[in-house]
Amino acid sequence: MSFLIHCPNCGPRSAYEYRFGGEIDERQPPWSAAAPAARRGSAPRNDSGQRTEMWYHRHGCRRWLVARRNASTNEVLATFRPGDHEDEPAAHRTERRPDA
Amino acid sequence: MRESRLPPGEGEIVDRRARLTFSYRGRRIEAFQGDTIGSALYAAGVRAFSRSFKYHRPRGLMCASGDCPNCLVGVDGVPNVRACVEPAADGTNVRPQNVFPSPEWDLLAGIQWFDRCLPVGFYYKAFYRPRWMWRAAERLFRRLGGLGTLRRDQPIASGGWHRERRPDVLIVGGGAAGLCAALEAARPGGDVMLVDEQDALGGYLRCDRHVHASADEHSGARGFEIARRLADAVEALPNVEVLRRATAFGRYEGGLVGVAQGRALIHVRPRALVVATGGHETPLLFGNHDLPGVFLAGGLRRLMNLYGVKPGRTAVVVAGRPEGLAVAAELLDASVGVAAVLLSERALNEWSRADVAKVRAAGARLLTSHAIREVRGRGRVQSAIVERRDAGPASQGEEIPCDLVCVSAGYRIAAELLRHAGARPASGDQAGAPDSLPATDGVYAAGDVTGIHDLRIAMLQGRCAGVRAASALHAGEAPECEPWQEQIARLEREYVPPDPGTLATCEPEGGKRIVCLCEDVTGADLTGAMTEGFDDIETLKRYSTASMGPCQGKMCLPATIAACAAFRGITPSQTGTTTARPPIRPVSLALLAGRKHHVTRLTPLHHLHVRAGAVFMDMGPWKRARTYTSADEEYGAVRERVGVIDISTLGKLEVRGRDAAALLDKVYTGVFSTLQPGRCRHAVMCDDGGVILDDGAVSRTDEDRYFVTTTSTNVDFVEGWLRRWAAGTGACVHVANVTSGFAALNVAGPAARSVLGGLADVDLSTTKFPHMACRQGTVAGVPALFLRLGFVGEIGWEIHFAAEYAEYVWETLFEAGRDAGMAPVGVDAQRTLRLEKQHLIVGHDTDSTSTPLETAMASEVRFEKHDFVGKAALTAIRARGVRSMLVGIELADARGADEGSPVVRDGRAVGRVTSLRYSPQLRRHVGLAWVPALLSHEGARVDVLSGDTALAARVARRPFYDPAGTRLKA
Repeated sequence: MSFLIHCPNCGPRSAYEYRFGGEIDERQPPWSAAAPAARRGSAPRNDSGQRTEMWYHRHGCRRWLVARRNASTNEVLATFRPGDHEDEPAAHRTERRPDA
Repeated sequence: MRESRLPPGEGEIVDRRARLTFSYRGRRIEAFQGDTIGSALYAAGVRAFSRSFKYHRPRGLMCASGDCPNCLVGVDGVPNVRACVEPAADGTNVRPQNVFPSPEWDLLAGIQWFDRCLPVGFYYKAFYRPRWMWRAAERLFRRLGGLGTLRRDQPIASGGWHRERRPDVLIVGGGAAGLCAALEAARPGGDVMLVDEQDALGGYLRCDRHVHASADEHSGARGFEIARRLADAVEALPNVEVLRRATAFGRYEGGLVGVAQGRALIHVRPRALVVATGGHETPLLFGNHDLPGVFLAGGLRRLMNLYGVKPGRTAVVVAGRPEGLAVAAELLDASVGVAAVLLSERALNEWSRADVAKVRAAGARLLTSHAIREVRGRGRVQSAIVERRDAGPASQGEEIPCDLVCVSAGYRIAAELLRHAGARPASGDQAGAPDSLPATDGVYAAGDVTGIHDLRIAMLQGRCAGVRAASALHAGEAPECEPWQEQIARLEREYVPPDPGTLATCEPEGGKRIVCLCEDVTGADLTGAMTEGFDDIETLKRYSTASMGPCQGKMCLPATIAACAAFRGITPSQTGTTTARPPIRPVSLALLAGRKHHVTRLTPLHHLHVRAGAVFMDMGPWKRARTYTSADEEYGAVRERVGVIDISTLGKLEVRGRDAAALLDKVYTGVFSTLQPGRCRHAVMCDDGGVILDDGAVSRTDEDRYFVTTTSTNVDFVEGWLRRWAAGTGACVHVANVTSGFAALNVAGPAARSVLGGLADVDLSTTKFPHMACRQGTVAGVPALFLRLGFVGEIGWEIHFAAEYAEYVWETLFEAGRDAGMAPVGVDAQRTLRLEKQHLIVGHDTDSTSTPLETAMASEVRFEKHDFVGKAALTAIRARGVRSMLVGIELADARGADEGSPVVRDGRAVGRVTSLRYSPQLRRHVGLAWVPALLSHEGARVDVLSGDTALAARVARRPFYDPAGTRLKA
């Protein structure tokens, strides 16, 4: 395992700086009023392919972030703060290299 | 030493004024500064450096560039050091490996006479019946074969240090191509890193004295001059970091490149990677080609031109490539006689006229129709047998006396990093076939690694790769290397790959033909394995172990592939090659295991504990005092007088804000919004499956301010877990970890009130300060938070105060408590004290399946709450009913058992003991144990198994000590 996660606060950092916080259901994220904490919050479907997860920047700013990650390739497609949306300024989308 | 050294030559890297010595088998070996262990030993006359893995054949320097396994030695107890690249260091002790007793004379060399008894895969075929046989055989083989020994009496320098680098461009290989790539890649000003294995940049050019007539702006310069110019230009660049003597040993997921440099392991994550790793020279498989004295051309060049070592007296040169002829000329310059040069007719006409003339003038025979069949000699080369290539099997060949054989046969491209990156060179790593390697996602290849051995092409490819790698980072700018591309294409069309021809005969008789030098696999072994059906290159490798030794196939893979292809009648590219996996070069486990960041945490009172003679134990990152005097003595202090426990290791969090209560209600199972300011409550935290994550005390110090303690090792987690449930909600709550900011003491025992009362400005009477209350005040004038809690079962207070005052408070407290018999208490006594009260420790008595409903904490799960983490799961468990319970357990007599012992009933294991200690109060062992729910009632009879003895025990649901809590609440 050796991929980078772009922390909305600290920039790209090794995945080892983070703690994995489980999968979340993006339609009903843990911070939404509609999602009771009592429900099995992380809903780990553990599918291969793209999923939405929470990560905690333990060795950094100690904040949580949401990452869309492809679990088959470990490609992190986008990261943003919980409660934000992908299209907000603090969000980060992985740019593809021009030659790729 | 003098007679074995050449007169000082241009381009050499040894400093003849600086001398150093090291010891080798009791001899003092003199070396110059800049020598490697290998060059110094060779100059001192050592020819046999080691004995081979299986047959104990003598082995000497061959590649002299760190590729082959022949020169592995032990240096100061560290085994498997490559003598030919390890710099000689003053005062070190070098030992040969796998020798019984010396490299020159090895008792076990006789093994090779019995090679018929050791067919390929013999350990699959023999010694497995009867079964004890293998054990005995294994022990024997481990002694006979092998790669040095780890000396247990000598500590090995352990632990590398890890660091991270994220350059824009990483260039691996500091040869002509790599240096040109660095020059171009650095031009836009990005962060460029260049990694090279040697101690100076320049690659093979460093030992090349040949004048390059057509090398663009460097035309007319000699190889080492070009190397020096390019290296100087790169080293002058401020934005290029050059790592010498560093190995890029693999490319991993996400483009991570592992680089080992000395005792540092560097995790490099470049945005673009240029692979300019060149090639590995490969040997020619004639009989006994592994005998000391047989050199690869590049190795001989390094020895002569870098270290100024005279390699021998008379040489036979097998020139399959132009370098071979050049080395023949260089040997003559070094006043080594050249008896014969084997080369093809075409080579004679096309290669350097000057070299041919020089060799001819020196009286060397130029043999164009001959091949080398074998070399002979005891322990080193004494003669070479050559014969006409068209000679029949009856030919005796011609014996040419010599002490050196120089082989320039071919090279294998060092495409390992490219392969890790997913590239699949079609040529199967055989050099000679120009191969445009696909640039896989930011990976570029340049130089000999592309399969073309040509300086001009290498430099142009390097420039292109550098420009492309740098421009890929700045989208929009088109790479400006079209003209170079055209030039490369033109040169490639002109490029004629050298043809080594058939310079070695492949007749099976006449000396062993070792294919794999590391594992002593012969050509006959390969044929045998393929005859047995292992004729796929991957299975052939696994069965014969060819290419599985320290050199990882650098020497033998092309020959193995060729043998496989010949056996099956297909081409080498159809045969394919084995999967390239990291590491490319051996990396020591000590380096990989180097701790990235090991933390040992000491409480602010640590050195007072040391002074008091404490014995410490590890608790997560913390060092905690286990005992000061004895556990019994300390136990007595708490129960009868007053004891002080340093609980600074407890996790401490401040949770503040308007929504602090709501957050705690959501994350913990209890209710904290109704907690009155000035009160404390025990708190349990579960995950969404209902499993206990942590417990602690929550104290409401103010309306919107809580002080939360966690278990000693878990505060980081709890901090993150609280933040997780606040993240994104927009709640007004702030979680601050104040663990190291506060020291904490637990003062407990019958005399606690009187001693503490004398120092504190807080009324400690039960009416004013009841059990489970908290107060702000001062102790010895230091502001502190007082919590009246009772983990050890006696009246007591936790006092939390600024860590800076820790020593002062501790000392003042002990002065005040001297008459009361106050004593410091360690974890050992604390564990007994809490067991008598049946307080569980999360993570010790519970595991990753335990829910609070199965423990005494069940009453702290407040199902009436609207919502909390884990509620759904706990509701389901409650409806289903728990299957087992964590209960108190009391053994019938003074005999005890280990923690973890099984709990049995009617001879069947039904549970396990998690904690068990001798209770001085009850004079028997008490503890906690998991038992089935049916056996969890007060007084249930079970047995605890200690070894083979079943000890009678009964279940106790009420605390063993002070069950009503009258002492606690007094």
